Amino acid sequence: MPRLGLCAALLMAVLSIDGYCQEAPARKPDGNEGGRPSDAQIAKWRARRPADEVAAKPTPGAATADAPNADSIRGGGRPGGRVMTAKHGSNVLWLSDSPPSRGNGKSRWGGMGGMGGMAMGGGARRGPPVKRLWLRAGIDPQKSGFARDDAKAETEILLVTPQGKPEGEPLSAAEHHKLSFEMPVQGYYRLYLTKRKLKDDTLAVSVAKAEVAYFSHGGDEEERNEAATAPRALDSAPIEIVREKKPDEKMFFRLTSGDEQVFIVLRKGVPVANARVRFVSHAGWVKEAVSDDQGRVSFQIVRDYFPAWNEFEKRFKAAYLVIAETDAVESGRFNDQPYRSVRYQATLSGSYYPSPSDYRSYAWGLGIGFAFLIFCGTAIYLYRRRRVKPFAEVRFDEKQ
Amino acid sequence: MNTPTPIEEQPAFQRTRQAREAELTLDHITDDFDGNPAGMQYFYELFRRTYIKGEPVAHEGKLIGTTCIQVPDELIYAVGATPVRLCNGSYHYDQIGADFMPAKSCSLVKATLGMLHSETRIPKTAKPDLVVNPTTCDQKKKASAMIEDMGYAVYDLEMPNTKESEEARIYWQRSVRLFAHKLRGVTGKRLTRKALKAAMARTARAQAAFRRLHGFRKASPAVVLGKDVFLVTNAFFFDDIDRWTEAVEKLNTELAQRQADGFHAAQRKAPRILFTGSPPVFPNLKLPVLIEEAGGVVVADETCSANRMLYDMTAVDEWLLYDMVDGLADRYLKPCTCPIFTRNDDRRRRLLDLAADFAVDGVVYQSLAGCQVYEMEQKSVAETLNAQGIPMLYIETDYSPDDQGQLSTRIEAFLESIKTRKRKVAA
Amino acid sequence: MKSSETQASAMAPVDNRAQRAERSPPSRGGDRVTAGIRAAINHVDLNRFRFWFQLVAFVLFVYGGYLAIDLGSRLPFFSCGYNQEGRAGVCYLLPLQHQLSRPWPMLFTAASLSILSGLGIFFLWFIVLNKGWCGFVCPLGTLQDWLTALRRRLGIRYANYTRGQFAQLTKVKYILLALTILIPLGIGGGLWSHDMSPPFCLICPARMILPAFTGDFSQFTIDFSSKTSIVMTTLGMMVTALFIAGGFIKKRFFCFLCPMSALHYLFSKLALFRLKKDGDKCTRCGDCYRVCDLEIKEIADEVNKPNIMTDDCTLCLKCVAACPEDGALKATFAGIPIFESTEAGFIRRMR
Repeated sequence: MPRLGLCAALLMAVLSIDGYCQEAPARKPDGNEGGRPSDAQIAKWRARRPADEVAAKPTPGAATADAPNADSIRGGGRPGGRVMTAKHGSNVLWLSDSPPSRGNGKSRWGGMGGMGGMAMGGGARRGPPVKRLWLRAGIDPQKSGFARDDAKAETEILLVTPQGKPEGEPLSAAEHHKLSFEMPVQGYYRLYLTKRKLKDDTLAVSVAKAEVAYFSHGGDEEERNEAATAPRALDSAPIEIVREKKPDEKMFFRLTSGDEQVFIVLRKGVPVANARVRFVSHAGWVKEAVSDDQGRVSFQIVRDYFPAWNEFEKRFKAAYLVIAETDAVESGRFNDQPYRSVRYQATLSGSYYPSPSDYRSYAWGLGIGFAFLIFCGTAIYLYRRRRVKPFAEVRFDEKQ
Repeated sequence: MNTPTPIEEQPAFQRTRQAREAELTLDHITDDFDGNPAGMQYFYELFRRTYIKGEPVAHEGKLIGTTCIQVPDELIYAVGATPVRLCNGSYHYDQIGADFMPAKSCSLVKATLGMLHSETRIPKTAKPDLVVNPTTCDQKKKASAMIEDMGYAVYDLEMPNTKESEEARIYWQRSVRLFAHKLRGVTGKRLTRKALKAAMARTARAQAAFRRLHGFRKASPAVVLGKDVFLVTNAFFFDDIDRWTEAVEKLNTELAQRQADGFHAAQRKAPRILFTGSPPVFPNLKLPVLIEEAGGVVVADETCSANRMLYDMTAVDEWLLYDMVDGLADRYLKPCTCPIFTRNDDRRRRLLDLAADFAVDGVVYQSLAGCQVYEMEQKSVAETLNAQGIPMLYIETDYSPDDQGQLSTRIEAFLESIKTRKRKVAA
Repeated sequence: MKSSETQASAMAPVDNRAQRAERSPPSRGGDRVTAGIRAAINHVDLNRFRFWFQLVAFVLFVYGGYLAIDLGSRLPFFSCGYNQEGRAGVCYLLPLQHQLSRPWPMLFTAASLSILSGLGIFFLWFIVLNKGWCGFVCPLGTLQDWLTALRRRLGIRYANYTRGQFAQLTKVKYILLALTILIPLGIGGGLWSHDMSPPFCLICPARMILPAFTGDFSQFTIDFSSKTSIVMTTLGMMVTALFIAGGFIKKRFFCFLCPMSALHYLFSKLALFRLKKDGDKCTRCGDCYRVCDLEIKEIADEVNKPNIMTDDCTLCLKCVAACPEDGALKATFAGIPIFESTEAGFIRRMR
């Protein structure tokens, strides 16, 4: 049990160091680097690239008619190839566990993978670890800025703890681009930020979801096992994306490039078919797919980390963003205003890391091993053979 | 195998001094002591047949004569040959051998040379196909060439003069390996794993039987006299090993019974003597017999005709030829307490260990006149023993029977002094 | 009777007849049963016993994780932590290196009491079997013994060190132990990158070999993600190859160079399980030296000190089994003799 405290303390220390390093959002370079672009800037951009912008915003009712192109069908080839920059798709709200990057893709100490945390831990027991999330707007996982406050929208924040009981409004709505909560027990913590806004006669419901896994090596095992198998969908969520776990997936799971990841789109616990799902990789590559009858859609995580050889970091934490959109013909009233259709949007973000096969070579390893083994064996054999030879002849050197 | 011939047809040597010398000793051993174990009959008979009647000694395969205990017998058995220890104890041969060696030199080597030079060798073995002579003491080393001149094939088994250094150990291991190759040349048989393992099993059995016998000598009061044990180990020189082992095992059973019954082979207060030094070889069991005649009992010995020949056992880690042969080499070198080495720490430790284990009252140190190495070690051994308060009697003698009277006096005096000391301590 | 030495030789004999009489009192009829049990133990075929013991220990520590067995992470032998699925506990060197490679500000605080507590638990494990963990339990030691058995089957002669080589190579384990401690400290101080942590585990052959027993071959790779990783993983593969070649041709090759062995030896004075020798009974026949896997000559030659376990010893007790003198060598636990050398046992075993 003391180990729990130690590991928790360490985690907190790590996160605080992390946060310290990542603090100061004010130091963002201007231009299209996240945050709040001025209206002038927006006008300028719009003037420059009207077509892209139009393409970026999904028009109401067009979602279902949006014919997916061949390569975005599930299981198919390459990513969509449409690179979006931050300003576009700024209506996409999502929760991230890191503030906008400064653009250099600096890696952070990626959590407790592998052997980490075995015997670590500080001394004094501090409180349970605290997880901080940021609400960002935009489609670029790296550069999307903080979400602007929208007075016209109704925002609801829900935190679901591993014990399953949803707790309402534990977080102040004012500064809701910085959200934090405590993680006293192990398990999956889910934060749902639901924003409802009425636009003409369409209600736009967007749910930004974050799923934080907190497991510690030294924690209670029963608690861990229980949490590992608990359901991770919320029945009351208007729309949500759930990352499907493979049956043999371990607790300290790290998604790596090359893995196939299945996401399920649910509306109030019911799978949504034919939802348009986009997967945005760290570098901004987008892949589109449509969910099937069971609401499932699968993406293969791309490799988009191509640094110079000597700058390669194997723990480079890349962020992905999954956006699911679907329209429904429902009518009702929102704030005493009628609406005739609803546009649902759900987002989920996560991290992925370089695949070990990118930097680990079996060929070299086994090659060196066998080569050296043969070398040693040959050396021993030759040494032994030489010892059996008769003594060397004694000769004189004639050189004077 | 050998049917006893009637006395009329017996060869002339039968009535020689040599036979009489042996007969005297043997009769003295058998008749003048009470309570000889029944198991000793085998040995008495063996000696009677071999030394007194001069019956031939049979052997299997080639006959390899050895002049020292450092020759690994197991290698000889493994190639189907038979080893025979040529060290001789006969005064008769000693006089013959005196032609070859200086006046004051080791009687044992003189006797061996005398025997090899004679037409009839007693024990009557066939002519050895090879005589293996380890380069141990000076006398034996120089005898090598002389033996060769007598018409024997001689092989010098090179033995180091030190045993502490790694070089010496490697040198000796190589010597033994070369010896194994030499044996192949002599017998035509290659050394195989199975054969060597079987040979080692035979000697191990013999060593185990001896150890058991050795163990019985710890009993107080003694259950067996030293004269008998010397006969047993002397028989090992030439007797068939399996027969010998069986006889010893029978003797052991009898001694176990004796011990259970509380039988005394010697007086309760008989001084217990540790016999060390130049080996008593039959018929020259002069000193041990004198000691026991005078009322002592030889409970332990550190001689190469008894304890040292059979005590140490070989350990092998991997039952493959390289390890078995090297293991044998180590067993014949490392624990060896022969005085031919530069240092004698192991010998002194072994003497103290035996003295303690066998509750010895005194030590009799025999050195044959002319045995330089034993004579030189006498001082350090005496100092070590005296430091522990163990009295030691140093006797320099040779094979001639003339000094029996003088020796007997000295021994009796020694035993008396021991008895007196024990009485004083008890009081 | 006190012994007064006239020679200054270190190997001068010592007599203690009186002490010897006290040491082995005559046994009474009542402890016939214990005598019987003792005889049964002393006559055991040690090689066979060890084979089965080692096999059970190997299965336990390489596959025990599947049965959710967890004996902690302070084990005094190579139950490799990289064998994530099957391990039943973790070798102490791994958490030790992790703990020592903490950043210095964290290291020099009370937070590092965990290092001492870890060492304490390791010590408690260690003193039970002393270096017997090496000879009977360590999976890497077992693997080497299996390699030796394979070589024996093939009839290939084993290799020996000369005394000079022995004296030099025996120091390597201390050097490796020092590096195992100093390099993580350096990493914590920022001198080297974390890719070099844990330094010994990266070059240890157990990291490559033991996970392979549970189907995890991922350690047989060269990690190209940084120069340090390349060097360390290459060294690791080379050491593994050397381990296999060396372990094949020399009995317990790696144990001679093992830093865990050095770490053990630092604490071995306080252990409960010991190897004792009664120098008086020793004939210096060298049988123990002959069978010793590590070629330790001190067992045979040392006749004055009772405690003859040297830093190379793995307490495999082969020497005790190969000694033909009663009571010359014995393995004791908390002073109670467990396994003694006996003449009868020797005769039975050497058949």
